Amino acid sequence: MPQQIKRLIIVFTIFIVLFLIIQQVLKPSSFGVFGHYRANAIQENTVRELHYAGSAKCSKCHDDIHFDKSLGFHAKLKCEVCHGPGLKHALYADKYKGKDLPDSLILYKPDNRKDCAVCHQKNAARIKILFDTVDNSMIKQVNTMKHNLVDKNTKEELKCIECHNPHQP
Amino acid sequence: MIQNKPKLSRRDFLKAGVIISGGIAITTALVPIDGFLFAGEPPKGKGKWYGIGIDINKCIGCGKCANACKLENNVPKEPFYFRSWVEQYTIKNDGTIKVESPNGGIDGFKQSVPDEEIFKSFFVPKMCNHCSKSPCTQVCPVGATFETPEGIALVDSNYCIGCGYCVQACPYGCRYLHPEKGTADKCTLCFHRLAKGLQPACFEICPTEARIYGDLNDPKSKLNSFLKNHTCMVIKPHLNTGSKLFYNALSSEVR
Repeated sequence: MPQQIKRLIIVFTIFIVLFLIIQQVLKPSSFGVFGHYRANAIQENTVRELHYAGSAKCSKCHDDIHFDKSLGFHAKLKCEVCHGPGLKHALYADKYKGKDLPDSLILYKPDNRKDCAVCHQKNAARIKILFDTVDNSMIKQVNTMKHNLVDKNTKEELKCIECHNPHQP
Repeated sequence: MIQNKPKLSRRDFLKAGVIISGGIAITTALVPIDGFLFAGEPPKGKGKWYGIGIDINKCIGCGKCANACKLENNVPKEPFYFRSWVEQYTIKNDGTIKVESPNGGIDGFKQSVPDEEIFKSFFVPKMCNHCSKSPCTQVCPVGATFETPEGIALVDSNYCIGCGYCVQACPYGCRYLHPEKGTADKCTLCFHRLAKGLQPACFEICPTEARIYGDLNDPKSKLNSFLKNHTCMVIKPHLNTGSKLFYNALSSEVR
């Protein structure tokens, strides 16, 4: 074998061994278990803060409202749809039973016309929709910026929830 | 004149050629190249294999899903990045198509086209399709994005270098670079909620239950009965991404 080839073989072996050592040091331990990625990243993705509690948690304390709601058109609506994420609220209530909630944990009470308009504002794309709610009716739609905007007697602006009970509309 | 006779005879050369080409053919047959696999049926995974169903007929465009997603996953409110959003498609009588998605639908939709001009109008909620042959995971140069064995496309934010190739590669526009973290970010199908046995936030919050998720490998799952009972389609089927987000009543105008 010529001298040059022998030298090249030595140089290549050193390179390959070095590469393997560096790769061993730099490669995360779980890399390649399931594929070309770190398998530990799957576990890391499960560790995140939750915000939404789920309606089963709400009915633990607010069973009266839960019952009211189950009789009306909003029966299938979950509490957090309108009131926003409430896991912190629920956990606090679990921990300190009977204690008043701090202001930051009191959930949003939607009483603005805009809150109702999100679903009930008249829109051509909503008309087709039929729901298997209580009596197979369509979602009620009005022009929320015109429908009984002011009280006829007092001339004050009316809120939707003054006539319609949001839990049992 | 002395002829330099080649050391390899013609016979030996042909022999070697046959052995090499035959060897390549046999190894490809035994270990098929990914490229061949990808042209065929989408993979189905073992165990759980998550898919999503969305009923366009039921979507009322309240945008609660987009809002819930932002709150649950700490997605920046502004500038407007979304993991999940809603679009309103309006097809006018003259055939032109108008697509709008003001703030992803979070503040609700205002009908911008008068009733007389509308041929039809509908809402399309959009989110990651969790493709089984996802273009976005294939382009990652550092292996920081992947599909889990359950079929959920995730990002490894510790290893992402923020090059943005995946953002370019996703044909559905479902990825963005997180402005604070500097890494790619996308819908995880609320992987942290699934791990605790809860529904993903947008499914939890949908007031009309227009969204369904479930195990495609389980013949009794809600999703499979949804797929059987409706005429479902994925967006951009010609791209062969193996999308697992199935829409009922999907119009061809939806892109």
